[in-house]
Amino acid sequence: MEDFLSGLTQIFTLATLVYMLAGSIAGIIAAAIPGFTVTMAIVLTLPLTFTMEPLQGIAVMLSVYVGGYTGGLISAALLGIPGTPSSVATTFDAFPMARKGEPGRALSLGVWASFFGTVISTVVLIVAAPPLALFAVKLGPWEYFSLIVFALTIVASLVGDSVIRGMLAGLIGLAISTVGPDPMMGRPRFDFGIEMLQAGLPFLVVLIGIFAISQLASEVENKSEVRSGNALVTGAIDFQTWKVMKEVLMRPVNLIRSSIVGVLIGALPGAGGSIANLVAYDQAKRASKDPDSFGKGNPDGVVASEAGNSATAGGGLIPLIGLGIPGSAVDAILMASLMVHGISVGPRLIMDHGDLVYGMFIAMAVASLLMLIVSVLSMRLFLRVATVPKWLIVPVVMVCCVVGSFALNNRVTDLYLLGFIGVAGYVLRALGYSLAPLVLGVILGPIAETNLRRALMTDGDPTLFVTRPISLLFLVAAVLSIAWAIRGHLKQRNKAKRSSDAAAS
Amino acid sequence: MSENGFNKEQAREAGEIARLLSYVLILIASVALFLSAAAIPTSRFERLGAGAFPKIVFAGLALMAVVAIVDALRKIPAGAYGRFAVQTVAWAKRRSLVFICLAALALYIMAIPVLGFSIASFVFILAVELVLMPRSPKTLIIAVIAAAVFSFGLNWLFAEVFTVFLPRGVL
Repeated sequence: MEDFLSGLTQIFTLATLVYMLAGSIAGIIAAAIPGFTVTMAIVLTLPLTFTMEPLQGIAVMLSVYVGGYTGGLISAALLGIPGTPSSVATTFDAFPMARKGEPGRALSLGVWASFFGTVISTVVLIVAAPPLALFAVKLGPWEYFSLIVFALTIVASLVGDSVIRGMLAGLIGLAISTVGPDPMMGRPRFDFGIEMLQAGLPFLVVLIGIFAISQLASEVENKSEVRSGNALVTGAIDFQTWKVMKEVLMRPVNLIRSSIVGVLIGALPGAGGSIANLVAYDQAKRASKDPDSFGKGNPDGVVASEAGNSATAGGGLIPLIGLGIPGSAVDAILMASLMVHGISVGPRLIMDHGDLVYGMFIAMAVASLLMLIVSVLSMRLFLRVATVPKWLIVPVVMVCCVVGSFALNNRVTDLYLLGFIGVAGYVLRALGYSLAPLVLGVILGPIAETNLRRALMTDGDPTLFVTRPISLLFLVAAVLSIAWAIRGHLKQRNKAKRSSDAAAS
Repeated sequence: MSENGFNKEQAREAGEIARLLSYVLILIASVALFLSAAAIPTSRFERLGAGAFPKIVFAGLALMAVVAIVDALRKIPAGAYGRFAVQTVAWAKRRSLVFICLAALALYIMAIPVLGFSIASFVFILAVELVLMPRSPKTLIIAVIAAAVFSFGLNWLFAEVFTVFLPRGVL
């Protein structure tokens, strides 16, 4: 209770609330711009939070996160372009609804569904994270190592179209994490005499290079599209805020089901909003009495998709707070920001820094409220944002990336690294590697290594990894997740083969 | 990837070959790094030394790369290799803007220590905008304003508000 009050007083200061408001606005704007993902927005926010108190910094980043999930809705509903991958399913029904002359209703539905989705997921987070942490504290290094192996395999198999390239990307991430001093004894490794590499590859620089630079580069792939300006849906927009709120609340089953789907998927490592919105949409369609109206502007579709993707925000924090394992790239960035402030993330977080954890819970709730207020008051303005052309975004955001990488350590050599990693990231992206496993590999690598070596220092017997029941459970789960992914992959390949044969004959 | 006038199937094959090359590169690099990790001396205080975890990672990487190579070789028809060079050039042409942007970024990063953050950023933003944008008087004015705000303005913001001093340059 004391921690709760301490967290509360830290969040409810004027400075923090103002920063959080700015974060919400920035998140909404960023996600409304096609090609600018939530992840990129958070990566670029991180350097700005270095000078803040830890909780203040985290609160701002959570605001960007929550705002970002809503912002994707704007371009999805009005332009039919998902502003972020998390709002793909939103375009199915919100865009037709906007086309039918109800753009305001479509936006309002999405905003309210996002709000309730976030609130429900926060409640689940508050209930689920502390017991999970209590359980996790009892885990030894053996269990931790196996858990990380499991987390990485599930990430690699869930993300992207190729299991093999997903695994390769995850392993490359682990390999990147081994550059620099080793985490136990500080012995230098793989620096090849290059000064730049002696301190290891800074996580933030890798993150910005991999996600932001390569994303920006891939935005200008299509020449003709870049050089033309895109048109916007125009027309009178009437939000009908309160009427729509009632309309959303009149669908409690859909709302709660979609939010729970979002929370569960968010809590699973590797699966985030980009999967949750599709699954929630699919579930809503199956449960509906009138499935044919989906895709033609059914309000249930909008509610399901937006509640689903917003609920992953709280879901993703469950493994982060409970186990110290980030569930997605965004959670990895949140974890990095805590580490920058010298706070070690793990199951002991909730005991050692209870005020921080409760502060995060409160910040989630406050952020969703701020998001609601900002969206309702200024949705009209954000419509303009969705039309900012790419030729303006790409160079400006590149400069922001450079500033962000520099501000961490004030080292010019970090910028050279950024350049290399950006190019490498683009090459990997162009070759069809998924980059999320790579980033998780980078952040989980040192944790895996520390636990592996600690385990064997405690007891030299390597069979303990398979004889301790919980450790064995995680390892079996890892094998199953790979097997399951390969099976799905083969199935899909057979299907593709059959359809191409049919087309040829 | 919706331009007309190129063979999608051949482009896909070229993509597979490019991936195959990347697998081979990963295999070579991981074997080399595995050997260099094996050379890291172990301390007598622990069973696994500083080189052990990297060895596991690189062994895994090499193994996956072999699997990927076998998988890729199965998929690529024999004739595709001859067409690879042509397809690569065609791909690079379609993506020329990407290369221009990345090259500009590289030049910009190298110029920062010399010119200082503000001037280098101004020139970089304006140059990339000029390459990418549909040129008209209105967009030109917006471009110059954006370049000024995000070079000199950003420098001011970081110096005054966050007390982070971006490189000044030697000029």
